[in-house]
Amino acid sequence: MTTAVTIPRHGGTGGRTAVAARARQVLKAYGTGETRVVALDHVDVDIARGQFTAIMGPSGSGKSTLMHCLAGLDTVTSGEIFLDETEITKLKDKKLTQLRRDRIGFIFQAFNLLPTLNAIENITLPMDIAGRRPDAAWLQQVVETVGLAERLKHRPTQLSGGQQQRVAVARALAARPEIIFGDEPTGNLDSRAGAEVLSFLRKSVDELGQTIVMVTHDPVAASYADRVLYLADGSIVDEMYNPTADQVLDRMKHFDARGRTS
Amino acid sequence: MTVWKTSVRNFLAHKGRMALSAVAVLLSVAFVCGTLVFTDTMNTTFDKLFAVTSPDVTVSPKTADGNDEQPDNGKPASLPASVVQEVAKADGVKKAEGAVFSMAVTVVNSENKNMGSETGAPTIAGNWTENDLRSMEITSGHAPRGPTEVMVDADTAKKHKLKIGDELRTIAAAGDITAKISGIASFTVTNPGAAVVYLDTATAQKQLLGAPDVFTQILVSAESGVSDTQLKKNVATVLDGSAAYKLQTQQEATEANKDSMGSFLDVMKYAMLGFAGIAFLVGIFLIVNTFSMLVAQRTREIGLMRAIGSSRKQVNRSVLVEAVLLGIVGSVLGVAAGVGLAVGLMKAMGAVGMELSTGDLTVAWTTPAIGLVLGVVVTVLAAYIPARRAGKVSPMAALRDAGTPADGKSGWIRAGIGLLLTAAGGAALWATTQADKATEGSMFLAVGVLLTLIGFIVIGPLLAGVVVRALSVVVLRLFGPVGRLAERNALRNPRRTGATGAALMIGLALVACLSVVGSSMVASATEELDKSVGADFIVQDSSTGRPIVPQAAEAVRDVPGLEHMTDYTFVEAKITAPNGKTEDEGITAADPTYQQDVRRTALSGDLSKAYGKNAMSVGDTYAERHGIKIGDTLTVAFKAGETAKLKVAAITSDDTNIDRGAMYTNLTTAASYVPADRMPQNVAMFGKAEEGKEKEAYAALKSAMAEYPVYKVQNQADFKEDLKDQVGQLLNIVYGLLALAIIVAVLGVVNTLALSVVERTREIGLMRAIGLSRRQLRRMIRLESVVIALFGALLGLGLGMGWGTAAQKLLALEGLEVLEIPWPTILTVFACSALVGLFAALVPAFRAGRMNVLNAIAADG
Repeated sequence: MTTAVTIPRHGGTGGRTAVAARARQVLKAYGTGETRVVALDHVDVDIARGQFTAIMGPSGSGKSTLMHCLAGLDTVTSGEIFLDETEITKLKDKKLTQLRRDRIGFIFQAFNLLPTLNAIENITLPMDIAGRRPDAAWLQQVVETVGLAERLKHRPTQLSGGQQQRVAVARALAARPEIIFGDEPTGNLDSRAGAEVLSFLRKSVDELGQTIVMVTHDPVAASYADRVLYLADGSIVDEMYNPTADQVLDRMKHFDARGRTS
Repeated sequence: MTVWKTSVRNFLAHKGRMALSAVAVLLSVAFVCGTLVFTDTMNTTFDKLFAVTSPDVTVSPKTADGNDEQPDNGKPASLPASVVQEVAKADGVKKAEGAVFSMAVTVVNSENKNMGSETGAPTIAGNWTENDLRSMEITSGHAPRGPTEVMVDADTAKKHKLKIGDELRTIAAAGDITAKISGIASFTVTNPGAAVVYLDTATAQKQLLGAPDVFTQILVSAESGVSDTQLKKNVATVLDGSAAYKLQTQQEATEANKDSMGSFLDVMKYAMLGFAGIAFLVGIFLIVNTFSMLVAQRTREIGLMRAIGSSRKQVNRSVLVEAVLLGIVGSVLGVAAGVGLAVGLMKAMGAVGMELSTGDLTVAWTTPAIGLVLGVVVTVLAAYIPARRAGKVSPMAALRDAGTPADGKSGWIRAGIGLLLTAAGGAALWATTQADKATEGSMFLAVGVLLTLIGFIVIGPLLAGVVVRALSVVVLRLFGPVGRLAERNALRNPRRTGATGAALMIGLALVACLSVVGSSMVASATEELDKSVGADFIVQDSSTGRPIVPQAAEAVRDVPGLEHMTDYTFVEAKITAPNGKTEDEGITAADPTYQQDVRRTALSGDLSKAYGKNAMSVGDTYAERHGIKIGDTLTVAFKAGETAKLKVAAITSDDTNIDRGAMYTNLTTAASYVPADRMPQNVAMFGKAEEGKEKEAYAALKSAMAEYPVYKVQNQADFKEDLKDQVGQLLNIVYGLLALAIIVAVLGVVNTLALSVVERTREIGLMRAIGLSRRQLRRMIRLESVVIALFGALLGLGLGMGWGTAAQKLLALEGLEVLEIPWPTILTVFACSALVGLFAALVPAFRAGRMNVLNAIAADG
């Protein structure tokens, strides 16, 4: 089995680890006895800080489950998950919610925004909930980066699908989370709008040093990442650095073929 | 058939979401059926009672006014004993026996405690006859055999722990009868609370009727084979068809008794049905909201049905079929609950002394039929608009993205109509305050109330926008972003918020209106008392309003420390004005000291002269109506005596509540025309203490009256307190009945929130994912609930106070001159509705908090 723990635990950046999040022997199983289904089978993984990581794999491979567990949205059956030095698998709902609010950003595939709030209100919502004032200069920069300055007062229903996802990206960035998780953030977009959103994500990694983890099944989307992890049957089976879309596609075909023959 | 099938499946699939609507239908139907069953059962009970207590034929004296049950001189009309022998001679008579029957009595035990019912059921004293054996049996001891013996009914004996040998005192007009219990008789049918004592015949005649050898009735039983009607004819023949006697067969007597009981039952029945109607009205809002939300949630599904070929009509019908199912389920449960409610009500009546037997429980076939029809019809009517909206869903909806359909905007046309109605209603209310005739004023009031109510319902969505924003500034902003989210949620569907609030508004508007009228009543009366009552004490039977027996009057008359004690009574008479017009009036006869007890303004003449010999006073309305001047002579034909010619010595102002329109004369004047034994007893007595001896006199009066517990001695403070209590009690009963409507409205708030939470599952998931804590989420839902409740309360209380004020202005014509807004009550209700909001959010907030974040996000929206 290929292990995804490839980065040394301590980097040189002011005492903070070079690993933003890590999973150790994470097991996630549903049901018991004969109906037991293992979604994650003792997974070890490190997510490098300041990198764009894509998680790929066929349906049912456990890629979404892995992301949900890393993000503190789902509980694990056994094993440990750390966000920086915090073991989130030990946290109760209250602390976990706080952690999501203050240290994690989310972009979902669809329905990212509250229909009752306008764009800027949606962007600042996590900070509002926390009772923190957003950093005005940073907010300005984020808004300009995602190109939404003109539409801040619009309600989600008045925005296109691509614009809605860009608002979601802006929301994820605005709170300066340690890590942003994307669950097929471009899954509902056409290729142009999707490319736009992915470029923003890439840019935020390159220019702002943001850490991003994205689940996708689209090789083109994965090609924007620094590193691609392949999941199959609840285990990490391969990884690839600085991929191109074609490489990703090839690798996928390979797994698919193997899946079919075995 | 397929429409039916999809409807049934939809209904079952959404049974949770229908549950609260079903409860609303259930409650309203239960209230209607409960009322019907309860009143039917009361009727059955009384039917049975009256049927067994009436003999085949009853002969009684015919009195001038036909009402001999509460004679104002305390002695029932009677017929000579010789008539009994005459009646006995008639063909077909098996037995004719003379009976003595009086309800003008009070029975107390040795500790001067009243043995009578506190619920208005009568205390009855009489002689023991064979006819009584049809409804009672002597279960211990024996019937009274002399003036020192008395028999009491078993229910009363049980309630007051009486046993043979205990002393009972029967207070009647002709004096007190103290006797020891010789026997206890049990009813063999249900006795709904009357206390009954039996005396031996001679004692009953002497003490209850004031003369030996007289009876109040002759109870005639027929020989076998002789019908009641035949017997009545035969008896009439031997009495030569004398006009002095009234003959009734058993059926006629039962009917007559029922009629006197029936009007009371009818009033109760229609009042309760009225409140059930209000609950139905409130329930409609709940049902409309439920179906609107179900249709909205199912837009895609309906779009699909349309896309694959369902017609509008089919979609429309499928929603209505669901409504029918809801109506049936709610009503069937409601009918069952109604019977339970009636039984509960009967038990509750038992606790306050009105015994009803569940053996008499009467469920007419019409009761479930009415309940079912009402429940189904109301539900279907309420679901009609949402059903039509469902029919209008385009097949394209199937293809569109999921999510909450476009937030309902309140249309301008609707707002226009609503404003127009409200304005018209407001104008009518204003006209009410300006009206100078009660009849036209009350018409304006009714129109005004109706139009403003409908107007407010129609502009509810518009008002929701304005009021919720205003409330948010005051209340929600304190809670930061969570408050803002709550505000936005409350505002996102103004139509829904409007309807939910309106449901609460209806009940609270009535509460506010009645509390304004009630407290204005107390304030007006208090002001009037302060202004015009000079008496320190009033003695009266304030619970049943019966006159004061002479021996009780005597007991308080010469109490130490009293400056005077005024006798005050009302003598019935036909009064003919100089213009020849005769009115069935009465004249207030009192001691001249009454002028100090209740100060009246004489517009002309001198009131003290009205107490002179053969003089009287009249009110200015009467004087105006008949053009009467000082010095005119009125012909006063006393019903119980001779005709007098009395000179008008004063005209008093009718601008008052106490003795409005009263004509006064001296008691001695009245007494010179009415024989002493037919002179009415005192209706009340007024006392004034000597300077500085108020306390002593008060204590002395109380102890003097201790032997007669039905009469209350009150000073002015007691009297005001009593007045306040009485109004308060009445209001509490009405509030209690309105509670039903308010409960249904609160269910409506719960319903709206619960369905909103379901509708917003994905949003909730999203918010939780990006860091909204459970507490914040629950608080957000609670705040939304509070703001909806406060919105309804604000509208309701505002509307109600408007109605109440208009009603007071109208009632000012009847002397209700002081407007008092009971701010403590209003503010308490307002604060309580915030609590109600919190309460309504309990379950929805809890369920929202428990949602699994991942499932919520993934939910099909």
